[in-house]
This record gives sequence, structure tokens and C-alpha cells, in this order.
Amino acid sequence: MYDLILFLIFLLLGYVFGQRAEKRHFRSIIEREKQLRDILVFSERRIPDAEQLDGSLVCGSVVISVDFFKRFVAGLRSLVGGRVSAYESLLERARREAILRMKEEARRGGAQSVWNTRLETASIYKGAQQSIGAVEVLAYGTAVKPR
Amino acid sequence: MADYENPLIPEGINVSPTHPLKDFILLVAGISTLLIVTVLVLSLLAGQLARHIPFANEQALAASLGRWLPQPPESAIARQRQDYLQNLAERLAGAMQLPPNMPITVHYSPGQTVNAMATLGGHIVVFEGLIATLPSENALAMILAHEIAHIRHRDPLVALGRGFTVMLALASFAGVGDGALQQGLGSIGMLPILSFSRSQEEAADAAALPAVLAVYGHVGDAAAFFEKVTQQRSGFDSPTLLSTHPDSEQRIARIREFSARQAPTDVAPTPLPAFMKAP
Repeated sequence: MYDLILFLIFLLLGYVFGQRAEKRHFRSIIEREKQLRDILVFSERRIPDAEQLDGSLVCGSVVISVDFFKRFVAGLRSLVGGRVSAYESLLERARREAILRMKEEARRGGAQSVWNTRLETASIYKGAQQSIGAVEVLAYGTAVKPR
Repeated sequence: MADYENPLIPEGINVSPTHPLKDFILLVAGISTLLIVTVLVLSLLAGQLARHIPFANEQALAASLGRWLPQPPESAIARQRQDYLQNLAERLAGAMQLPPNMPITVHYSPGQTVNAMATLGGHIVVFEGLIATLPSENALAMILAHEIAHIRHRDPLVALGRGFTVMLALASFAGVGDGALQQGLGSIGMLPILSFSRSQEEAADAAALPAVLAVYGHVGDAAAFFEKVTQQRSGFDSPTLLSTHPDSEQRIARIREFSARQAPTDVAPTPLPAFMKAP
């Protein structure tokens, strides 16, 4: 009986704190995206007028943990299939946060645009049973500024 | 860089617009419904299959369970009572056309429990407490015939088959262990083992009445036990759907309806022998 109560407490804690953290994170992401809108991000490999520009590598990475509630819902979802909306918002946060951190580094370097931007995703605790997973997203690209 | 523009991207295009709680409730409800339906279907199938197990196998199973039936009576009066019950059961069994390889063994238990039960291997346990509440042999015969009918319908084995199937199905879902989930689901599996379904009880009543009629020529006092139970009940009414035994009033009504269809007789009920009522 105790572990059932413990499980429900974990579920409630996961939901309350997970949702609070997610809402707060999204607010902060939207705010910072507005501040960094003038730095343009491209996936294009060839940089126009490259000979007149100075390029440097910039990257931003973030690790976000799955909360207990999201993990349980995703576990149920894995029985029946379908869109795992619990993880969709998690990865959306991680991608946008990683790009923001990359842009922040570009701003510190005085660049106006980042080219050849790539995103890498890694799952931490991959395959480990009974553990709450965490996801890492790494964004990197070439920041350029006039020579 | 004037050739490029950076449009404002609308929010929420990469995430399904579902509230996480709604997702959670839908999943929990859907999966538990699926699980319940699967377990119910499996238990019904198991019940159907269990009926086809030969009675000899059921007897062997009952014998292999160890000491679970009441000890043989020690005192002379208890032995006399058990012999009398056995005798009565055999008379009724004869009237019910039991298959020849289906012997009934009655056990007398000196407990105050107001109950009688049919269990695996053709064993019937009758408690002293029940006999004390009965006004006549006819009332006792009705109860014995009801339990014999359970055995003829293979209800104890069906209940066991259903229970073990439910336990196995739930254990294969939740695993075996001493966690709360496993314990809770395991006790769900015990439910079908410990009780017969309402339709089984009704079928047993329906089979018992003709047997009592055949032995005594009338069904007077057949409802006596249920009438007594109804009188003694103190305001507590369990909903009909939840209890497995049919409501006492419904049983009395059915028994009266059956007796109304028979030719009226004014034969008095056979009294219980004096040694059955001794303190």
C-alpha cells in the first residue's frame, strides 16, 4: 500500500512542478527569442560573400529532465501508440533553448547571423530501467561578422 | 542581409494542443477498460473450459490440497449428525440424477457460522449455526439440494478456474511480487474463487426445488431460511447488483411461485430429528 501512495505522491509532484517549470521555461524562451530576433539563423551551408566575413563556431546545449508524470503518461502511451504530447513539449523546449544559447554566444562574439546551423539530440540514461530520462539538445553553427 | 526576413513563428505548432491531464485521464481510462474487458472475457472462457474437466480430476485436485476440510467428527452426537446429513444429501442426490461418478460428501462443522458451502471434489460443509436456525428437515433439504446443485453444475471448479485465470492474466500484466499493485491485483483474482455468480446461484435454486419436491412431495418450508434471514436483517440493504446471492425476497418469491404451480398439499413439514437440535 505504501508504494502505491508513494507512487501517487510522485505523480502529483511530477505534475505540479513539471507543469510549473514548463510554463516558466516557455515564458522565458518567448521573451529571450524577442530579444535575439535580430540574429538570423540559417541552415544553409554556403555563406554568401564568405570572403568578406569572419566565421567562428558557436554552440549551445541544454539538458532537460523528464518529470515523473510525463514519464508515466509516455509509458502508457507506449502501450497504445500515438503522439507522445508529453515529450513533444519537452523536446520543443530543449530545441528552442539550445538555439537561444547558441544565439547568445553569437551575440557575445558580435555576430549578426549564424549559418549551417545543426541540431543534435541525445538521450541520457538511455536504456536504463527505472530511471527518469533526460534529453540533451545541442545546437551549433558558424557565426559570421564583417571582417 | 537586407534580402532576408525573420518572421515571427506562431506558438504551439510543434506540440499537440492537448492538456496533459486530459491525455493522462484518457490513457488511464482506456487502458484500464481494455484490461478489464480482456480479463472478463478470459475468465468467462476459463469458466466454460473448467466445466469440461472430468470430475475425477476435480476430486484428485481436492484431495491434493491437504487439510482444508473440517476434521472428522469426534463426539458421537456430531458423528450422528454428519451421518444424518450424509443420508439426506444422498436421498436428494438420487432425486437430482447426479452422474454415478459424482459422489457427495457432507461434512458437519460445529461452528456458529450460519452457512453451508459446496466446494471442490463434491464436498459440502454444513455449519451447526445454520442447522440451529432451521425449522424443519424440509428447510435443510432445500439448502443441501442447493449445494448439491452447485456441485452438479461444477460451480466450485468454474470459480477456481476463473479465479486462477484472472490472477494469471493480472500477474502477467503487473508482474509477481509484493508491491502494492501486484498485491491489489492478486486479491482481485481471489474474488471469483470465493463466490459464485448470481446466475449460478439462481440456477442452483432452480435445480434444488424439483429435488425437494421429488423427495417430500411438496416444497413447504423451502423458503424458511430466507424468510428468517429477511426478518433478522436490521435495516441494512445491500444493492441487488452488488451481492452475488439473489436477494432473499426474490428467492422467496421464486420458491412461492414454484410451489403455487404444484398441486396444493397440506402435508406438514417433516421435523428435524431431536439430535439435530440438541444444544
